[in-house]
Amino acid sequence: MYLTRFRINTARVGARRLLSSSQRLHAAVMSSFVEAAPRHEEGGPRVLWRIDRNAKPEVILYVVSPDRPDLTHLVEQAGWPTTGTWQTYDYADFLSRLTAGDTWAFRLTANPVHNIRRTADEPRKRTAHLTPRYQAQWLLKRQKEAGFRVLEKPKEQRRLAEGDEHQLIIHGRDPRSFGKTEEATGRKNHVSLVAVTFDGRLEITDADAMRRTLTSGLGKAKAYGCGLMTLAPVG
Amino acid sequence: MSVLLLRLAGSLQSWGSAARFARRTTESAPTKSGVIGLLAAAQGRDRGDDLTDLAALRFGVRVDQPGTRIRDYQTAHHGDTDKSMPVSERFYLSDAVFVAAVEGDGVLIDELYRALRAPAYLPYLGRRSCPPSKPVELTVHMDVGLEGALAGERWHAAEWYQRRLRREKTVALEVIVESRSGGDDPGDTLRDQPLSFDPRHRRYGLRTVRSTSVRVPNPLARTVAARRTPPPDHNPATVLKGV
Repeated sequence: MYLTRFRINTARVGARRLLSSSQRLHAAVMSSFVEAAPRHEEGGPRVLWRIDRNAKPEVILYVVSPDRPDLTHLVEQAGWPTTGTWQTYDYADFLSRLTAGDTWAFRLTANPVHNIRRTADEPRKRTAHLTPRYQAQWLLKRQKEAGFRVLEKPKEQRRLAEGDEHQLIIHGRDPRSFGKTEEATGRKNHVSLVAVTFDGRLEITDADAMRRTLTSGLGKAKAYGCGLMTLAPVG
Repeated sequence: MSVLLLRLAGSLQSWGSAARFARRTTESAPTKSGVIGLLAAAQGRDRGDDLTDLAALRFGVRVDQPGTRIRDYQTAHHGDTDKSMPVSERFYLSDAVFVAAVEGDGVLIDELYRALRAPAYLPYLGRRSCPPSKPVELTVHMDVGLEGALAGERWHAAEWYQRRLRREKTVALEVIVESRSGGDDPGDTLRDQPLSFDPRHRRYGLRTVRSTSVRVPNPLARTVAARRTPPPDHNPATVLKGV
């Protein structure tokens, strides 16, 4: 597995073209691999990507992939061709060193959704969680199976009586909306989804499940920049 | 010496001091003649009555919410002859809040306070078409002077205005007070010292005013803890080896 970091030059027209549509960015990421990705089996490693908007001029694309990518086309369209390229890191080694009980800072951009119906005779429909409270519940419900536990806050740091028990910040709510041509039918379609970014601290409870989460993603819309979790040392 | 505090808040106010003829301007703060007139009306005095005791009160005003100046273009016809009257321009302060204070003899101040609780003629803010939106009378202070009473009163600006200034823990409010008589400190002069409200011949004298400012706490100031925590830095590459 590899983790790749690429800084996007937001002043370029190509960057704006890519950032304005998750569909285009997905295509650009997928075309960084020589071999067209085989249909991934459920739960197996796959190509995941995420955009981190740390500051207005600092927009970074992270890609986690089974194969080593070549982002030359992205550098040409949306990078700094003579001074800045991309960095690829060995992710497999890092993953093999993860053990239960470790504490890490994490970042996850995900698409928290649930399936609901408003009336009894209506079909169930996938619907986005829009409030931070339910978005947090969405993550906390999945943490055990994903192999980690979001750390709790000491009592004196909690600002709310309820709903502020964890070391978790939800920010960067990003409603995305873009056009798409269906591969199977060739018909034009429209996709809209809500991505949010979770920042916090976690403790690994199950190293294998954690490795699976980091390489195959969490939640829906994985092709559209959602579901990639990364770990960093607790600062 | 006692001080009576008044709250002058209304959707429209108009305080003219030098306005004549068809262009009726307003000052940016209440005038002494306007407030003395309000007090005299509350007591039930007639236009022609003597008002030397009221005119002798020392007057000060604090600008809690400056409001905006708006202009009205007014046409009218004479009630009997139906002849058109001269077109007039009238200026108002919209959404303004002031705290006015009068300082004087304790007995008179008490009387005025009671008169405001049960006014003989209803109070209005400079012009009869401008009713106050809240009770005018606030409190009577027995021991502090005019400046002290104005500085100690809480901020009466509207909630939306206080929230707009939520970045400021304390706000500076302009205070315009009358200079003590006999003192020769320089200041601005304003012709709004009422001598007579007699409708046949209204007369006003000059008085000297001085403008300072006081700081009052903002109850809706945002505390540091309430600010949103910025997301932490996150760089997953720090623990990885490049290939």
